[in-house]
Amino acid sequence: MDSVMNETKVHPYSRGVSIIGVGCTPFMYTVDNPETNGLTEGEMFGYAALQAMEDAGVNPQKVDFYFHGEASPLNGSNYLTPNIQVANWFGMKGKASIHHSEACCTGYYAVEEAVNAVASGKYNCVLSGCVEFGDSLAVPGHPYKREKMTMDKFLKTTSWLYDRNYTRSLMAGQELIYDDAAEWYKRTRGLTDQQMDDTLNRMCINNRRNASVNPLALERRTYEDIAKEKGFDNVMDYMRSPYNPQMGDFLRASGVELKCDGAAAVIVCATELVDRYMGNKNHKAVEVLGTGCAACEATTPHFEVSATKEAVRQVYEVTGVKPEEIDIFYANDFIITSHLISAEIAGYLPYGEGWKYICEGRTAYDGDKPINTNGGRTSFGHAHAASGLADLYEAVRQMRGEAGAGQVKFLPKTAMLRGYGGAQNICTYIIRTAE
Amino acid sequence: MSVKLEKVVETFYENLEQGRITGRKCKQCGAVEFPPVYACNSCGSTDMEWVEISGKAKMYSIVMPAPLSMKPEYKSLGKFAYGEVEIEEGARLNAVVRGMTKKKRKEIMENKKLPVSCHAAIYQRDGYKTVVFDLDEEQ
Repeated sequence: MDSVMNETKVHPYSRGVSIIGVGCTPFMYTVDNPETNGLTEGEMFGYAALQAMEDAGVNPQKVDFYFHGEASPLNGSNYLTPNIQVANWFGMKGKASIHHSEACCTGYYAVEEAVNAVASGKYNCVLSGCVEFGDSLAVPGHPYKREKMTMDKFLKTTSWLYDRNYTRSLMAGQELIYDDAAEWYKRTRGLTDQQMDDTLNRMCINNRRNASVNPLALERRTYEDIAKEKGFDNVMDYMRSPYNPQMGDFLRASGVELKCDGAAAVIVCATELVDRYMGNKNHKAVEVLGTGCAACEATTPHFEVSATKEAVRQVYEVTGVKPEEIDIFYANDFIITSHLISAEIAGYLPYGEGWKYICEGRTAYDGDKPINTNGGRTSFGHAHAASGLADLYEAVRQMRGEAGAGQVKFLPKTAMLRGYGGAQNICTYIIRTAE
Repeated sequence: MSVKLEKVVETFYENLEQGRITGRKCKQCGAVEFPPVYACNSCGSTDMEWVEISGKAKMYSIVMPAPLSMKPEYKSLGKFAYGEVEIEEGARLNAVVRGMTKKKRKEIMENKKLPVSCHAAIYQRDGYKTVVFDLDEEQ
């Protein structure tokens, strides 16, 4: 008998909703650079929000409402109501807002929340933004200074993601986040230890290649260059070496997120009102066809796999889209394995063959099945709440043909994005360029 | 209203102090919730009763601890692994299974012996007792 997994019937939106503007800061270690040290929540969120409005051609005063996401506002910013603390920064003073946190999945639920608000008919145009200082903490009592967040401090707060009644006590749920998906994939697809290790390493190499041509990415040095610098002719020899130590049962250091600081935002409006809102902007809007969402608390076996299957089932059912119609795929891969298993569960890569596509480089930005063209969490970086909207920013730029050196080799029309996080939420959605 | 405002969590831990590992069984469909909660996740009923679990279980997946998934307080567990465990009453959960080693895992996986038998045990943590599982001897 499988673990209990209740299903949800999702219904079509009451009216269509489209993405008309996107914004994103560079993902960075703000404290490490004198030019960025001292940046605040309002400045980061405000930059992303205003960039998204400018991109959409919308004056802030035309925006009806905003959603604000931050994974850990009390710990990172000493705020209980972070949406209010940035309210005066982007021309929307007096307008209502709400804060939400689904930890690492926040930036994906940011889309779900905004789309629902417009699809319901209550609002015509909504901003959804997220900000996170994943690499630094507010200095208590000081108006803008921040200090570096040590790994010890970070890990202390990540324990708050887990149920204290049972999960922390039972000791397994919170520890299986690192390797459960790899164990599941290796066992169910029949890979050898070497094949699994190579696949995890190749995903990191591909992510880094993608980030190397993305000016917003945190880490842009390719693993090939790093390997050469360390005296390795073959990048895989470097990836298998003690320079890339085993941190999990399967996971190596290269497969773990680079936590950092960043913000991103999106403007959505009713599809029937796109022309009115976008004014003289001539890029095509991108319609949100539907979302699928599920959640498995960490005591649930194979939480990521089970919740992804259910969310993907919902989004295909409600949209009628077929897996073969997906041109480009994004997965929140703060544990690199997510990238492989979610693409295969979604049918973007064929069952049992996904690892081969990855090892052949076909999922890099210049391949035929691109995944995480911005570099994903292990190279673009992970500003926890903001990462999901940074992925949307990248997807929309790719779909408009505006991704510069990292542009995929064809113009993607339909994208799927799969968010994951918060022990554990899954939110997946499909977007398509308007005709 | 059939749901009662009651201390399920405290009762679970107090039962462990008395040497009893307990869950809650749905009177409507018979499913057992372990660890125990208010409502049945299989049928939604709130008509639940406390039951002692037999302790018999099976382990369906094996993940060994590693630097990221190890904490100093886990050292007293001895050799162990994390994995998906199904108790005899049907509930599945992520749990610790003591007695698993890399060598045993290799032998189990190479000989396609999953699932392997294990049984529940009460384990003393700092200030309270919890539940782990022990690999059965024949593995």
